[in-house]
Amino acid sequence: MKLSDREDELEELLVEREVRQFLNHEAELLDARELNEWFGLIAEDISYYMPRRSMRENTAGVFSDKSYYFDESYGSLKARVMRFDSEYAWAERPPTRTERYVTNVVVTDYDDEEVDVESNLLVYLSRGDSEDHDFYSAKREDTLRRDGDSFEIADRTILLNQTILSTDNVSIFL
Amino acid sequence: MMTDNTMAGAEQVLQEAREALDEGLFPLQLFQDDDLHDLEVQRLFGQSWVFIGHESEIPEPGDYARRYIGDDPFIFVRDESGEINLLFDSCRHRGTQVCRAEQGNTSHFRCPYHGWTYKNNGEAAGIPQKTKAFQELDREEHGLAHVPRLESYEGLVFASINEDVPSLEEWLGDYKWYLDIQLKLPDGGMEVVGEPHRWVIDANWKTIADNFNGDSYHTAWAHGSVVDLELGGEETVGHAGTGESIDHHIHCNGHTTSIRGFEDEDVFLTYPDEIVDELFSGEELSEEQWQVARQALSFTGAIFPNFGFLHFGDTTDDPNKDVAPFFTIRKWRPIGPDQMELWSWGLVPKNAPESFKERMYKMYTSNFGPTGNFEQDDVPIWKSITEAAGGEFARTQDLQLNYQMGMEWMSEMELDEDWAGPGFAYSENLEEGGMRLFHEQWYEMVAGNDREDALGMPMNVDTGVSR
Repeated sequence: MKLSDREDELEELLVEREVRQFLNHEAELLDARELNEWFGLIAEDISYYMPRRSMRENTAGVFSDKSYYFDESYGSLKARVMRFDSEYAWAERPPTRTERYVTNVVVTDYDDEEVDVESNLLVYLSRGDSEDHDFYSAKREDTLRRDGDSFEIADRTILLNQTILSTDNVSIFL
Repeated sequence: MMTDNTMAGAEQVLQEAREALDEGLFPLQLFQDDDLHDLEVQRLFGQSWVFIGHESEIPEPGDYARRYIGDDPFIFVRDESGEINLLFDSCRHRGTQVCRAEQGNTSHFRCPYHGWTYKNNGEAAGIPQKTKAFQELDREEHGLAHVPRLESYEGLVFASINEDVPSLEEWLGDYKWYLDIQLKLPDGGMEVVGEPHRWVIDANWKTIADNFNGDSYHTAWAHGSVVDLELGGEETVGHAGTGESIDHHIHCNGHTTSIRGFEDEDVFLTYPDEIVDELFSGEELSEEQWQVARQALSFTGAIFPNFGFLHFGDTTDDPNKDVAPFFTIRKWRPIGPDQMELWSWGLVPKNAPESFKERMYKMYTSNFGPTGNFEQDDVPIWKSITEAAGGEFARTQDLQLNYQMGMEWMSEMELDEDWAGPGFAYSENLEEGGMRLFHEQWYEMVAGNDREDALGMPMNVDTGVSR
C-alpha cells in the first residue's frame, strides 16, 4: 500500500474520531439535561426530523412520508428546549434518568465543511419513583458542520424502531 | 374471566358508585379495578359504537388498516367495489389472524397456517384442496366475520359488536350539529394526514375520557408551560372562568363539547384569511352553525365512550411565527384496568393548499400526540391517577373524587337560554357537568342498563323537571 493511501486512511480515521467525540459529548449534555448547552450545538438552519415508522407486509424500514413526531426548525426546536425551563413542564419533573449509547458510527461522506454520519442510538429511560425502565432504539442520519474546533448539527433524521411507542410521551431529545 | 366472585365484587363497587354519583362524586378506585374492567369490556364497549377510523385513511380499493374494538382485532378495508368493511381478523378454519401488517393494500388476505384465502370483502376465495378435503364445506358460510354494525358519519367510521345497538345517527343524536361544524366547515370536508400516532400508556381510559368531557379547569395548570412560552394564547389555554372569551360547555345526547370564542368577531379558529375566503362557503352549515364557527377560537369534544377531538386555533410551534389552527381526533382503547392505547390522528381541510396542510399538521404534532407540547404533560398525570387508584387505600378508605364544580351549592351556573345549538349549553366553563354526564352513562351501561337512562336534564339544573 502506498504511503498516500495510508494518509487518506489516517485522515478518515481522524474525522471519524472527531465525530465520535462530538456525538459522545452531545450525548453527555443530553443525559445531564444541559439542554441550553445542547441547543448551542444546533445550527440555525437545522432540520430535526423524526418520521413515524410504518409496518408493511413485505418491506422493512418503511417510514411514513407524511406522519412524524418531530419536524423542527431552529425556532420550534428552541421553543421545545425552553419549555422545559417552565415550572409547569410536568413531563420532565423529575427529569427522566437517561443514558445514551451511541454506536455503529459510520462517516458516509465528508469535506472541509460538513460530515455526513450515521449512528445507532440506544437510550435507557427510567422515570418517576419506579423501578420501571424503557428504551428508545433508533438509527440517526446526521449532517455535522465544522464550527471552529467542534461541530454544529445541521441536519438530523431519527429513525425510531418502534411503530407503537411504549412511553408516556417523548419528552427528551434523541 | 367473569366469575361469580368478580360479579359480586363489581356489583358492590357499582352500588357504592351509584351513591357517589348522586352527590357529584366519583370513587377513586373506579380508575383501576380489575373486576370493573371485565364488565366495561362486556357491557360498555361490547354494547357501544366504537370509533374505527376515517374513510380517507383507506381511499383506494384494497387499502386496509388493522383496528381494534377492545382486545378484538379487525381489518378496516375498502373492497374492490369501493365499500368499507370491518372484518374480524381470524381465519374461519383455525382462528389464525390473516392480516399481519398495520396498513397496506391487498386484494386478498391469506392465512399463513393452511392457506385459506379471503377476498378483501371477507368472502372465502380459496380453500386449498377443497375438492378432496372439504367437499361439503359451504364456502359462502366461511368468509371472515363482519362486525355486526358498521356505520359512518361524515367520514368518521364507527362499529359495534352489538347487533341491536341503535343506529349511529341515533347514538350521536343532535350532537351531529357540533360535529358538522368541525367536519363540514371547509368545503370538501376534512381528511386524515398519514397514519395515526399510537402509544401505550399505563393509565385507565376513563382518565382521558374525563379530560375530554369538559375539563377546562386543567389547562392553565397542566399546560402552564405552553402559556409561559406564548405558544398558545391566553384565551385558548389560560385559566377557565377568566379572560374576554365567551365560553360554553355543552352536553348533547350524552356527548359534550367545550367552546371558547369571541362574540361578533370573525375568529374562525384562526384559519388564515385565504382559507376562510377560499374554502369556508358555509353552504354545508346552517346560519346558526356558521355563526358558532365564525366566533369560535377552540372546540374540545367527546363522543361517548372513547372518541375525542380538539379543533384549536391560536397556537404556534414557535413564538416568532404566526398562529395557526390544528384538528386532531383520537381514540382511547382500554387494554387493561391500568393500561390503554392512545390513537391520535391529525386532520386538515381536504381542499386546502398543500403548504397549509403541512402547517396544520405541524401545529398538531407541536401541540398533541406523543411529542406535543400540551400532551407530553397530560399523560403522566393520567398515569398517576391510575396508580393512586389501584391500591388498598382507595379500596378501603372510601376516597371520593370531587366533580361538584357547577352544582348549585358550589357555583352559579346558568344555562344559556339564547344558545342556538341543541343540547344544554352552560354559559361558563367552570363546571364539571360533562364529566358527570360521562360517569352517568358509564354507570348505566356497566350496571347493565340502557345508556339512555343517563340522558336528560343535567342534575344541577333546577327546572322543575326530574332527571
